[in-house]
Amino acid sequence: MSDIFPKWTNKLPLLIVVGASLVGTAVTAGVWYYFTPKYTRVGYQPKQPVAFSHKIHADQLGLDCRYCHNGVEKSWYSNVPAASLCMNCHNQVLKDDPKLQVVRDSFNENKPIPWVQIHKVPDYVYFNHSVHVNRGVSCVECHGQINHMDEVYHSKPLSMSFCLDCHRNPEKAIRPLEHITDLDWKWSEDPKANAAKQEAYGLEMVHKMNVQSSQSCSTCHR
Amino acid sequence: MKTIPPTHTEPKSGQQYWRSMDQLQDTPEFRQWLEREFPEGASEFVDPVSRRNFVKIMSASFLLAGVGLTGCRRPEEHILPFSKMPEDYTHGVSQFYASAYPTRGSAIPLVVRAHEGRPVKVEGNSQIPGSKGGTDQFAQASLLNLYDVDRAQRFTKDGAGVDRNVALDALNKLGADMAATKGAGLSFLLERSSSPSRSRLIKAISTKLPQAKWYIYEPVDFDIHRQAASTVFGKSVRPDYQLGAAKRILSLDCDFIGNEQDACALIHGFTKNRKTKTAHDDMNRLYAVEALYSLTGANADHRMRTAASNVLPIAAKIAVAILSQKSGYSAVVQALEPIASQGKADDKWITECAKDLVAGGKESLVLAGYQQPLEVHLMAHVLNAALGAVGTTVNYLPAVEPVKGTIQELAASLNAGDVSTLVILGGNPVYNAPADLGWAAAQAKAGTVIRLGYTEDESFVKKGWHLPLAHYLESWGDARTSDGTLVPVQPLIQPLFGGVTELEVLARIGGQSKTNPYDIVRETFSALDGGDENAWRKFLHDGYLAGSSAKSVTVTLSTGIAAALKGAKVLPAPSQNALEVVFHRSYSLDDGRFANNGWLQETPNPITKVTWDNVIIVSPETAKALGVGRFNENNALGLAGWVSGEKEISQTPSASHGRFDNQVVEVSVNGKTVKGPIWIVPGMADNVVALELGYGRPDAGRIAKSQKDTPAGFNAYVARTSSTLYIAPGAKLTGTTETYPVASTQEHGVMEGRSIIREANLDQYKKQPDFATLMNLHPAPVSPALKEKGVTEAPSLYANPLDAWKDKAVHQWGMAIDLSACVGCTACLVACQSENNVPIVGKDQVRRGREMSWIRMDRYFAGDLLNPQIAFQPMLCQHCEAAPCENVCPVNATAHDEEGLNVMAYNRCVGTRYCSNNCPYKVRRFNYLDYNKRPLNDLVGPHYRTPLTATVNGEWAMSRWWKSPERGWREDEEWELLKLAKNPDVSVRMRGVMEKCSFCVQRIEGAKIAQKVKARDTDNVAVPDGTIKTACQQACPADAIAFGNIKDPNSEVSKWKAMDRDYSVLDFLLTKPRTTYLARIRNQNKAMPDYQEFPGTSQEWLNKHNSFEAHGHEEHAGHDHAEHATTTEETKKGAH
Repeated sequence: MSDIFPKWTNKLPLLIVVGASLVGTAVTAGVWYYFTPKYTRVGYQPKQPVAFSHKIHADQLGLDCRYCHNGVEKSWYSNVPAASLCMNCHNQVLKDDPKLQVVRDSFNENKPIPWVQIHKVPDYVYFNHSVHVNRGVSCVECHGQINHMDEVYHSKPLSMSFCLDCHRNPEKAIRPLEHITDLDWKWSEDPKANAAKQEAYGLEMVHKMNVQSSQSCSTCHR
Repeated sequence: MKTIPPTHTEPKSGQQYWRSMDQLQDTPEFRQWLEREFPEGASEFVDPVSRRNFVKIMSASFLLAGVGLTGCRRPEEHILPFSKMPEDYTHGVSQFYASAYPTRGSAIPLVVRAHEGRPVKVEGNSQIPGSKGGTDQFAQASLLNLYDVDRAQRFTKDGAGVDRNVALDALNKLGADMAATKGAGLSFLLERSSSPSRSRLIKAISTKLPQAKWYIYEPVDFDIHRQAASTVFGKSVRPDYQLGAAKRILSLDCDFIGNEQDACALIHGFTKNRKTKTAHDDMNRLYAVEALYSLTGANADHRMRTAASNVLPIAAKIAVAILSQKSGYSAVVQALEPIASQGKADDKWITECAKDLVAGGKESLVLAGYQQPLEVHLMAHVLNAALGAVGTTVNYLPAVEPVKGTIQELAASLNAGDVSTLVILGGNPVYNAPADLGWAAAQAKAGTVIRLGYTEDESFVKKGWHLPLAHYLESWGDARTSDGTLVPVQPLIQPLFGGVTELEVLARIGGQSKTNPYDIVRETFSALDGGDENAWRKFLHDGYLAGSSAKSVTVTLSTGIAAALKGAKVLPAPSQNALEVVFHRSYSLDDGRFANNGWLQETPNPITKVTWDNVIIVSPETAKALGVGRFNENNALGLAGWVSGEKEISQTPSASHGRFDNQVVEVSVNGKTVKGPIWIVPGMADNVVALELGYGRPDAGRIAKSQKDTPAGFNAYVARTSSTLYIAPGAKLTGTTETYPVASTQEHGVMEGRSIIREANLDQYKKQPDFATLMNLHPAPVSPALKEKGVTEAPSLYANPLDAWKDKAVHQWGMAIDLSACVGCTACLVACQSENNVPIVGKDQVRRGREMSWIRMDRYFAGDLLNPQIAFQPMLCQHCEAAPCENVCPVNATAHDEEGLNVMAYNRCVGTRYCSNNCPYKVRRFNYLDYNKRPLNDLVGPHYRTPLTATVNGEWAMSRWWKSPERGWREDEEWELLKLAKNPDVSVRMRGVMEKCSFCVQRIEGAKIAQKVKARDTDNVAVPDGTIKTACQQACPADAIAFGNIKDPNSEVSKWKAMDRDYSVLDFLLTKPRTTYLARIRNQNKAMPDYQEFPGTSQEWLNKHNSFEAHGHEEHAGHDHAEHATTTEETKKGAH
């Protein structure tokens, strides 16, 4: 029989098993990483029609998030401001800057600025901004430190497990309401102390506010 | 630990409650129907398309999908903010505006929700004094008309489109020309309206153009109430019924619960006194005399069925019986006696009913129906006066004399060539004018015709002008409700297709200085109220003008009554050879104006449960005598019974499985013939044929013609003449050998003869207040093995996922439905469809048992085949705590949330349909096809187009899909409109997904979020009771639904659930439903000849259990079910 099956074929089953498991692991790992929002979404940074910098407005000038995103406390949706709001300042400041031509056109010609959407959950997810920002969850938890971004990019995966992580442990995110839009705010500069303080405060507030961050389907899917 | 709950066999005495003739008969077809999860053809493709072909096509589709890698495309989406921010607007927050749905002579006040500028839901305005905010099905469905793709979208002259301004200029010019001739040759044809602005304009124009003539026509006209009251009292008044104050009500063929004007207000009043809180409460009693089985008859405590023409003598008999006891009516009695003697009726019924009404005194009320002749109405008003009811149960309000000209006069004038310009404002006379007028020909004789119409329909003007009418949610207007309260008709959106309003057209032709409808309404308001801007703003905000209800006037009987009654002509009693035809308003399409409204087309008729068609209705006896329908002699159910068909017809294969292929019959009346499928309704008067108006419209639009391009139903107007508007004698009915497919939901979801509906008479309820719980069936006996372990109560088969959460969660949602109050009007069905984006599936799909309505209005007949009782039960997801559906779902797509909702995660659902199979209530609905993406004419089986073969507008479906995957196969214009009608808070489900009632989870979550936003960092997160109203609850005019937090003992729903009438359906399965029902109480009069001690279900229960005494839960072990549901002796043994 050795004419038909050379000796090395005796190792074939072993090779197949090892090979298959290697390939399987590679495929699994590949899907695990590349097919999840962590890879597909995080870092998404499209070019916007206006070179608007959050870093300048929010960080250097210290504008509150809610000056522009003024619907965030009332609506499920955090609105992108109308051109008229930009013009509140920019009819005085940099009023002839060519970078702002699109904004001025929008204001004068009554046509919207086509901002490119970055953060988006699927249509069957009914995320609500108002209930989060009014109950101690800061913008930074989902959007990252926008105040340090010149151009906004997607910094967190916003996947279902990302939502659930927080809904399972709400105490990790709840902070005093007065610091909701202060994206740099921390209990302490020391990470260990910060975590401990957050845990203590979070647990207390979860109890005090009767937080029941639900994990059932109806919370987000209707 | 498996226990199998016993199936409870039917009682040996035979079934007392039945939903169809087939069930009563227990035909093999019915058994088969019953035992299936979905009707045959619903759950499988019996189509000739083979599985092999299917797989071929599917693999090709997958290949294409794979090549395109469509799932990996990341679409770049844009956010387009405003350029200038409007004031007081927050993106994403809905706005609510008060408006009103104008009806013929009244209005239903509304609050309309606008989402980003488009109206998405209509709700009743609960702020109006005396109103709870209920609506009827028409008001709910009127929203869909706004987005009707077939509405008129252009101005036309001689059939060709013209610019809007050209048309409006032409109106101005006509106005100028007419001013010169003082309106000579100008005629207006109007619909009824309660708008003060319109009557002001008419008055102003009449002064300016005194020669202009005014005519009014409504195919179903309620003006007779005003006419009769004005005749009786000698001054211009109209009745305003206060049913809430009435204890004894007699309806003389008056379907005030269904087809009369302001039915939703009348239902609200009527049911106020039906809802007993405890066994000590009293309730009202309703007597109904009627020919058809109407909703009013279904809710009556005593119902006499008689020919419609016989109502006049019966009314006279009752009037004689009552008036002869009162002084001062001798002349009237004298005039009535000869009329009374011409009719036949059970005298005891008459005398006892009269006695009860007299005993009720001023709390009695007699109502006459619009289809009855004037004399019946006169008697009703005289009786109310004699009983002292005026001021208590009926008020008389000053009435505005409407336009007097009739369509008959107009036709004569047209034929004489007197009309140079005819202006038709609304209405559809070519379709619905009396047949004897030859309207189309008459209209052609006018010099110029200008028509303002909502659709380019039968009355579309090919020679002359056609103007698109604006929807009421696009127009400024005003109206008055039944009690005269002034309400605004406020627009929420600019006219989608540039339509104009009636007011504007009138003002332009009348040469008024103000032609903008806003200005016109504003001016009327100032004139009425003298109100400043603040009053106006408050009026618009509140949706009514406080204190504007009409003051009732004191009335005295005019002396000419006896003379007016003397002339009454009694039609001869109908016989087999000279049948009586009754033309009646449709519960679904009104007079045909809703023919292109899919929501209403698909809402089953409350009595016949037929959708998408009208049918020719006769009684079983008549069908038998005429030898038509599906009658067979070989049965012994008192009467002859039912099998699947007449000889030749019975063998058609599709006549079984609950699909109705009914014999087509011809009705000849007034020299005309109407052809349609026969339908037999027990309880109909014998020798009466009911023809439902509003169907058979050839040009209503594509919804009305969605089935193979033929209009839904038959047109009954062709046989209706001026002298026989409602009742036509001397008709003949003959069978043909044809059959016609009818889509009826009648037998879908039957629950076998268990005590699903529980009822008692008031006396019996007083004796045994806990009768409803006593009718509980036994759960499965505890097995000996469990008993040894000390288990005393049988455990549920299904784990209760809520056990861990019940105490922890803030809310636990529950619903209670009061069957005493539910009148079966189906307003809730349409409200649910609108709120929850429930798709329309079309007639063919309904026939396959694939209707999607989340609420099923079950209608059960009870008892006597000739005059059965009817009971309604809205059946929706029961939100079982121990839900059988959840345990069988392989992908956990249906699960419980912490607050007791049984939720569906559509994205998880893979469509196994196991859940539906395991649901004991059969309330789950499956999307067999993509009902949102396919147009209705693509939903006609058995051959469905596939994406590979379909083309839309000449374009291959696959290439369309590639360009824009979401729009499906609908035409672009239809798709764009359709999208606007959807509720943005609810996912639109696709093919292959199960769905069901969610307790309006979007409203619950919305309210919880609003409360949390308010609570900020406090723990005030409990939603206050009454904040959340489910769509069905909100729409219910009877207030028959309570919803709320059952954890809070003071919530309305907890109070309802604590009542002794509360029970769960199929309680013995231990599914612990969150939806419970309050047993229905009937208030029968012992003295009446048709008194039944126990209503049908109770009788059935008694046949099994002998008495209402409490029976033990302790069953002897080892009983199998045959012994379980048993003879009386055994039950007694078991109890001791």
